[in-house]
Amino acid sequence: MDLLPTSEQEEIVASIASVIAGNHTLGEPLTDALWHAAVAQGWLALGLEESLGGVGYSLAEEVLLFLELGRACVPGPFLATVLGARLAAESGDAELAARIIGGADRVGLAERYDAERYSILDGESCTMALVVDGDRVFLADLDGVALDSIPSFDTLVPVVLAIDLDESAPLATAPDGPALLRRGGLLVAAMLAGMAKATTDQSVQYGIDREQFGQPVGGFQAVKHRCADMATKAEAATCQVYYAALALRDGRDDAEFHAHAARVVAARAAVENAQINVQNHGGIGFTWEHTAHRYVTRSRVVASSLGTTHGHLGQALAATAPH
Amino acid sequence: MNLDFTPEEQAFREEARTWLAENLPTEERPPDGQPMREFDLAWQKTLFEGGWAGINWPKEYGGKGLNDIQQMIWYEEFARADPPFTLNNSCTFVGNNHGGPTLIVSGTDAQKEFHLPKILGGEVVWCQGFSEPGAGSDLGSLSCKAVIDGDELVVNGQKIWTSYAHVADFQELLVRTDSTGPKHKGISWVICDMTLPGIEIREITTMSHVNDFCEVFYDDVRIPLTNVVGEINEGWRVTMTTLSFERGTAFMADQVELASVVERLIEEARVRTGPDGKRPAIADDEIARRLALARSEVAALKAMTIAGISRTQRTGVPGPEGSMTRLFHGELHQRVYQLALDIIGPEALRLTPVDGNGWTGPYLQSFAYTIGGGTTDIQRNIVGERVLGLPRVK
Repeated sequence: MDLLPTSEQEEIVASIASVIAGNHTLGEPLTDALWHAAVAQGWLALGLEESLGGVGYSLAEEVLLFLELGRACVPGPFLATVLGARLAAESGDAELAARIIGGADRVGLAERYDAERYSILDGESCTMALVVDGDRVFLADLDGVALDSIPSFDTLVPVVLAIDLDESAPLATAPDGPALLRRGGLLVAAMLAGMAKATTDQSVQYGIDREQFGQPVGGFQAVKHRCADMATKAEAATCQVYYAALALRDGRDDAEFHAHAARVVAARAAVENAQINVQNHGGIGFTWEHTAHRYVTRSRVVASSLGTTHGHLGQALAATAPH
Repeated sequence: MNLDFTPEEQAFREEARTWLAENLPTEERPPDGQPMREFDLAWQKTLFEGGWAGINWPKEYGGKGLNDIQQMIWYEEFARADPPFTLNNSCTFVGNNHGGPTLIVSGTDAQKEFHLPKILGGEVVWCQGFSEPGAGSDLGSLSCKAVIDGDELVVNGQKIWTSYAHVADFQELLVRTDSTGPKHKGISWVICDMTLPGIEIREITTMSHVNDFCEVFYDDVRIPLTNVVGEINEGWRVTMTTLSFERGTAFMADQVELASVVERLIEEARVRTGPDGKRPAIADDEIARRLALARSEVAALKAMTIAGISRTQRTGVPGPEGSMTRLFHGELHQRVYQLALDIIGPEALRLTPVDGNGWTGPYLQSFAYTIGGGTTDIQRNIVGERVLGLPRVK
């Protein structure tokens, strides 16, 4: 039993982090350069089985990718595109899967907004949407669909509302919707855990750099202890995400519980840390110029994707007891 | 990254499960005094005779030499066996987890030969003499004084929060042997025989109705210099070495146990009537969410514990990251028992023992979890300074 990344996995993480650092600036929109690099590096099919046209790593490595995407607060339709590629491949449409993996078709995330409409994250830049309707998950063509853009809470995650999304003619339908959603939920948890770590790092760095009363403010227990709590929450979230990834990968019978638990712990860590991070920065943290607010809005948007924290709490209690 | 147990670890789990089923005491642990001491020592003897004593001690000192994963398996099996007492709530805790391991790392051959077999064999009780009225979180400022006189140390002063001093044979005692230099440089770690003349012990009753919290007074107590562990004035280093191991695994038993406590509480919530007086407690949204969160956080605690073991396997020595696990565990433990009292309704009017399957006694005892072994404020300092690299307090 070993819960930390192997040296090979650490190399994968380092490579992912370096590609992100070279092609993305925190607080800026997704660049074409990063999207193309992601395609070239095989990120969109990292955890997809080779027999399905993927790179052939496991859910563990895919989770490491999404931890890094979360940590760097990278915007863009990575989650729905990765899930969309798997959906297409698992449904037997290899050609569609190859187009998605090749980066030609970007996939937005469509979930119920109200009785009539779906919200689609990144909808304007995507040619198709991964539509989640209860346990039914399918890919829908966005060509010709009327999209109504709304002011987005996270300005780097543009949201459109689709009124006439045709549910009757999907491009492909997930053969096992709940399994795909479990996997997606864990990738969401990974992004959230990555964000919880990033905001901890921001607060710690500011605590070292910023001086008041003749000393770095991180020396004061009021600040230091908040940072310690942030680090602890991020650590708990990351460890549980690792554990759940392995449990799901290995098909353990308590995997479902662990995935919900990971989602719950990571969502709370990401949202709370993002909020405290603003406080730790004082006035500068409240400005648009500073990037602290990026984690505030992103953590909320990501935490409300593929189910809510309350929903996952309910499922964590209903699931088979962990052992 | 894997969750697999080796065939050896699987076999070990089976062995532990079988042995516990046959040997675990079924009677309640007496709450205090000599009967408690006898109960704890009898269990230690049973462990020793069955070959299960000193599970984390090296084999050369009579221990089982288990790795951390096997230790965790042992604790899991202990919790699964549904014992009528808590593993760490024992007067053998200090000897097994602190005094003994300190002697193994820093003791002389004579000290090891005399003491280690007695600790393992359940013959003696050890207690800890660290805190003082003026030296709690600031342990380094301790002032209980020891002066060298011939081949003896003469000790005068006071210790406090010394659990089980009233039933102890020996004590790990920190004394000030030099007050001229920096405060951490003048401390010595000595083995104190609790039957020596000049020692007076007073019991202190805790808020959880337990009398084993003591204060100890020293009036010209003469301790042979051969009882010093490490060198004179090197006691702080001796202490820190042991504490780093304590951070690693000493609290793993509690952490593992908390998982079964939460599952038991979920069962309580299914059978007890909830706040509306009609439906079961678990049908109440708020209670259900708090239970779900506790279950999720206990899972995360276990994952942190395993990650800590994995980290130690890579580095060889437990790092300061263990303080994050301690901090998370202490506060989670309290939240679980706070929730329990909200769930059990009128049953919360009844006082139960701190040990066992009741809820109110363990609730009162849970306050110790963010104080003992370094308060959560101290744990936060350790995380902030040694894990995150924030500047020290001026």
